[in-house]
Amino acid sequence: MTALAIDMTGISKAFGPVKALEGADLKVAYGTIHGLVGANGAGKSTIIKVLAGILTPDAGTILIDGRRVAKPTPASVEALGVHFIHQERLLVPTATVAEAVFLNHEIRFGPFLDGRAMARRAEALIERYFDLRLPAGTLVRDLTTAQQKIVQITRALARKAGVLVLDEPTAALVRREVDSLFRVLRRLRDDGIAVVFISHYMQEILDLCDEVTVMRNGTDVGRVDPKEAGIDAIVGMMIDSGVGEMYPRRHHAVGAPVLEVQGLTLKGAFCDVSLTVHAGEVVGLTGLLGSGVKELIECLFGLDRADGGSIRIDGVEVRLDAPNRAVGAGVGMVPEDRRAHGVAIGLSVRENASLASLARYSRNGFVARGRENAAVDGLIRDLSIKTPHRDALVRNLSGGNQQKVALAKWLGCQSRVYVLDEPTVAVDVGAKVEIYALLNRLAAEGAAILFLSSDLLELTGFCDRVLVVYRGGLNGAFDAAAVDGDTLLAAASGTRSETRGIPE
Amino acid sequence: MTAATPVAASSAADPLPETGTGPNRRKALAALAIRLGALLTFAFIMLYFALTARGFLSAYNAFNVVEQSAILGVLAFGTAVVIVGGGAEVQTGGIDLSIAANAGLCAAVFATLSTAGFNPTVVLLATLGTGLAVGALNAFAVVGLGILPLLATLAVMNVAAGLELTLTENTVVSAASPVLAFLQTGRFLGVSTLAWTLILFSALMILVVHHTAVGPRLYAVGGHPEAARAAGLDVGAYVAGTYLFSGFCAAFASVLLVSRLSASTPGTGELLLSVLAAALLGTVFSRRFVPTMGGTLLSTLFIGFLANGFQLLGVSSYWVAGVQGALILLVVAVTSFARPQEH
Repeated sequence: MTALAIDMTGISKAFGPVKALEGADLKVAYGTIHGLVGANGAGKSTIIKVLAGILTPDAGTILIDGRRVAKPTPASVEALGVHFIHQERLLVPTATVAEAVFLNHEIRFGPFLDGRAMARRAEALIERYFDLRLPAGTLVRDLTTAQQKIVQITRALARKAGVLVLDEPTAALVRREVDSLFRVLRRLRDDGIAVVFISHYMQEILDLCDEVTVMRNGTDVGRVDPKEAGIDAIVGMMIDSGVGEMYPRRHHAVGAPVLEVQGLTLKGAFCDVSLTVHAGEVVGLTGLLGSGVKELIECLFGLDRADGGSIRIDGVEVRLDAPNRAVGAGVGMVPEDRRAHGVAIGLSVRENASLASLARYSRNGFVARGRENAAVDGLIRDLSIKTPHRDALVRNLSGGNQQKVALAKWLGCQSRVYVLDEPTVAVDVGAKVEIYALLNRLAAEGAAILFLSSDLLELTGFCDRVLVVYRGGLNGAFDAAAVDGDTLLAAASGTRSETRGIPE
Repeated sequence: MTAATPVAASSAADPLPETGTGPNRRKALAALAIRLGALLTFAFIMLYFALTARGFLSAYNAFNVVEQSAILGVLAFGTAVVIVGGGAEVQTGGIDLSIAANAGLCAAVFATLSTAGFNPTVVLLATLGTGLAVGALNAFAVVGLGILPLLATLAVMNVAAGLELTLTENTVVSAASPVLAFLQTGRFLGVSTLAWTLILFSALMILVVHHTAVGPRLYAVGGHPEAARAAGLDVGAYVAGTYLFSGFCAAFASVLLVSRLSASTPGTGELLLSVLAAALLGTVFSRRFVPTMGGTLLSTLFIGFLANGFQLLGVSSYWVAGVQGALILLVVAVTSFARPQEH
């Protein structure tokens, strides 16, 4: 067992003129959890696809379990015990747990299915690794997201995985489920399995991984112990220009109140919520699922109509009962599901970026294309949106760049208030830093920014103040610089209630 | 309001949440109610006929219905397999509208060649070849060209119907063949060959689809093609296979059809409504609301008894078509209501 589970050396892969990988190494030992991090385009997914046999490398050697694999194919790699847990939940909704676990590798008795053996084995595996009694006859569609993830992992375990590769496995999970997943991954590691863990969440990498390979520009730039190196060092390695800090500081003064919410109530969701966001201030908002925080933010978008209370912008009372009225009142919004609401993915970068401010580029009702183009090119440059040209479809951009387009839309409008719902979810670190910098610029211009997030590091690291919603009411306002994640978590789960730091 | 917002909380020692959360449990109860409701309605209608229609309960009548249902059953199994492999979404899923017209074409080929005096083996092979060729055309249109099954098989249905009319010039072509004689008069243990055909074919379908690996794979291909592909299955081949199988069923049913009437007759395509009703009705007997072979058999017999009961009560057969159409609407509405919205 001295051989490495995965030993990839000097892997290169070019797509036309673009070199996606250039002499990249990935070495993972049995019995370790190995993090793989890097900004989008750094080559993470390309090297994983090479390992999975989906892409054929131009150069380099691949050894799995010490054995040379000349031409990996999905089947040959799986036969060597390397299994992939895809980011999407690739499970048949109408299958039972047992069927999903054994699909295409059914246990048979002669030509016939041995349903009882499959059920017993699936239940035993799930109980052993997940401490969970999940009846094998349950339909996949009746499972929670976390349970579906469990079924995916069990599928690999049933085939005696030696290596488990998980691509962003925590993306759709809540904290408690993430903790359970981590316990299982640690148990698998202790059983001698090599786990490769791809994540954008630095805190997860820090908590979980024994070793991290950092990728940048198609090659590995470091293999470190995350606990020794620390987040800032890893992020520093990931980012080209060596952006020193993950969360850039603001250097401007906070001004007069811009957004004032008084006694806002939505029956069944939240009650009597009052908050104020000042000019140049970034206020974080957080809460558990079902706390009413989501509905609160949707009220400010104009997606939900409040039952009572008032909203003032620059001292003028406004009614935000439809998104267009919110926009008209000077609210710029970035919804969570950007593909559904934030950007029109079938339209070009130019069309999206100028959508909200077309009136400014218009003369006598006609769009002055020259002015529009100049403005859009300016935005693309300012936000460093990575797009081949302004007429490229947003659909083809990466998640981070789509988010930047969603933000660019509002930049042209000079909104007074920006309401953002999880703007950095599923966005790579490099793009995150750019989004923070952009928000800082908006704040410096005197805008008020209200920011819903569940990323504790982001809340404490980036915001000025953090408001926590618990059971439909505010359960604390914290000075972000003086609060830690545990306190926020305690306030969000109702085990602690206090207001500290700057009061309203 | 979809995704999980939370910073989520509580102790790390918590196990993962149990199954049967609120909305899921309600959904499961609704599904159970629909299934029980379907069975009760089935039983109630049978009871009504038993009490009001003279002779409905006699063994003679029962076997008669089973015999009559053989053709419908074979075609319904073909359709059910297509729905399983293509997905049970009504608008975009698998469906074979051409199956009845295909059976008509096959019947015409069988009758014409038999009358022309060809060797029975040659006739059977030609009939089978015709059915498979139409199935292959469907498979090409759906898998190769990526046309929605609803449209692709509608077009192929017209092709098959047109070819049948060309071949028969819209007349009855009477046929005689040793194959037909066996089907018409053969009996075993007092049960006719036609009835045996349905019994054995059903048993074979249940065995293959629910007790070999073909079944779960086929359901996976229809339920979530991406997941099936990730599990290493050749999705296109499976879907193409379902259309070939429905072509085979059409050919098989056509032989039974000609044997019952001793001829190929125009209007076989009108069976389509009953076939669809039987295949779609079969989905209510499954907790997943996908067609099962047992469910297809049950609903085939139900459709058979329904027509038979109306006949015994002296209700015009035109009403049967109306009732079947209403059943299709009801089943599709109820199952798409109960089926959770995926993706």
